[in-house]
Amino acid sequence: MLALVRRDFQVTRSYRLPFALDLVYGFINLLVYFFISKTFEGARTANLGAAPSYFAFVTVGIAITVVIGAASSGLAARIREEQLTGTLEALMAQPLTATEVALGLAGFPFLFAVVRAALYILIAGTVFGLPLGEADWLGFVLCLTVAGVALSALGVLVGSLVLVIKRGELLAGMIPFAMGLLSGAFFPVSVLPGWLEVIGRVVPTRFAFDGLRAAVFEGAGWEADTVTLALIALVGLPIAIAFFAKALAYGRRSGTLGQY
Amino acid sequence: MTNDGAVLSIQGLSRRFGSREVVRSLDLSMARGERIALWGPNGSGKTTVLRCVAGTLTPTAGRVEIVGHPAGALQARRLVGASLAQERSFYLRLSGHANLMFFARLRYDSEREAAAGVAALEDELELGEIARQRADRCSSGMIQQLAIARALLGDPAVILLDEPTKSLDADARGRLWAAIDRRPNAAVLFATHLDSDLEHCDERLSFPV
Repeated sequence: MLALVRRDFQVTRSYRLPFALDLVYGFINLLVYFFISKTFEGARTANLGAAPSYFAFVTVGIAITVVIGAASSGLAARIREEQLTGTLEALMAQPLTATEVALGLAGFPFLFAVVRAALYILIAGTVFGLPLGEADWLGFVLCLTVAGVALSALGVLVGSLVLVIKRGELLAGMIPFAMGLLSGAFFPVSVLPGWLEVIGRVVPTRFAFDGLRAAVFEGAGWEADTVTLALIALVGLPIAIAFFAKALAYGRRSGTLGQY
Repeated sequence: MTNDGAVLSIQGLSRRFGSREVVRSLDLSMARGERIALWGPNGSGKTTVLRCVAGTLTPTAGRVEIVGHPAGALQARRLVGASLAQERSFYLRLSGHANLMFFARLRYDSEREAAAGVAALEDELELGEIARQRADRCSSGMIQQLAIARALLGDPAVILLDEPTKSLDADARGRLWAAIDRRPNAAVLFATHLDSDLEHCDERLSFPV
């Protein structure tokens, strides 16, 4: 698995500009929400939970959406790249289990996203004055890691789909956006219409947003959300990997591992 | 090895793509050190047989076993080194060396063994320049030499080579066959349509079967 993670790091490192551009993009994103938050400073808001301001609320939302995106679509994107470069069949001829392939290919996008998320929060703290004095960083790291693993189950399922139907990019891109939107990345779920709020409260990402905001802004109260995410990971990941193994077997049967 | 000493055993292998039967009821058994050429025109099913042995394609009917393990099983894939579809199967942003190191890490137990294995192959196949170049700057002949090196990583019991000399110059062809000669215990199954490759095999199997 580590060999796959290291290889993806080497490939990503070979494109130097996107690293820098990604940080610039993150900075601009934060800047936009910083000024939106300034615009409505003092205005009455919906319950923002642990976040002391709308900017604080949305900063965690943006950072976690990056991780959700990587966890849920990173594997699918990597598989699609392997299909397009023709390396998927060469990879599948190697002595790797389905679990090693799934977690190894998902590993680097996930780790990279965690670093980006942490950098966004750090930038928000140092440049935009986000209050981080109460943060429980151990809780933050634990909750973020468990959230990533839980959401990887979804990513492995989408990856399985890409193995079978190949063009799954649209779905892979839609999932993190829809989940973020529904579960409180940019606004509290309490502002959603009643029936949508019910859905928003059970979407797994909601536990990630609540837990991480509690860890960053209150330094406590993240434990229950982390446990819920751990349970989702425990149940979801083995099921997702079983689907992935089935998708690989389908690729071998249909002879499509070497196809674009 | 199986009871009859075969490292590779193919029984009644058939493979169909849609309504087209590409391989029909193929039987083949290979002992250690044996070399068999699958010889025939393009599209006659040679690569299909190699893919079934590599485990990246499941037969429609029949059995393929590597030292008693079904092809495609983890234990079987450990024993097989394959060079398939060599024109496009490397990570183009990485150097030849980084590519080989990646695949070596999947086959050797430690980083040190992987590095030693790659260094030995780069030396044996004289890959110095190819190893330094990024894969997207390599010619098809250079990529083919990398693919051969990848197939030899970890001293596999069964070596599969798909059109191994197609893009190689005379020197590189010489190095390839010399490397195969230095592995007298490996069973080598290769697909070719070139008559000149046949002098390097013990037996040839004409396709289509």
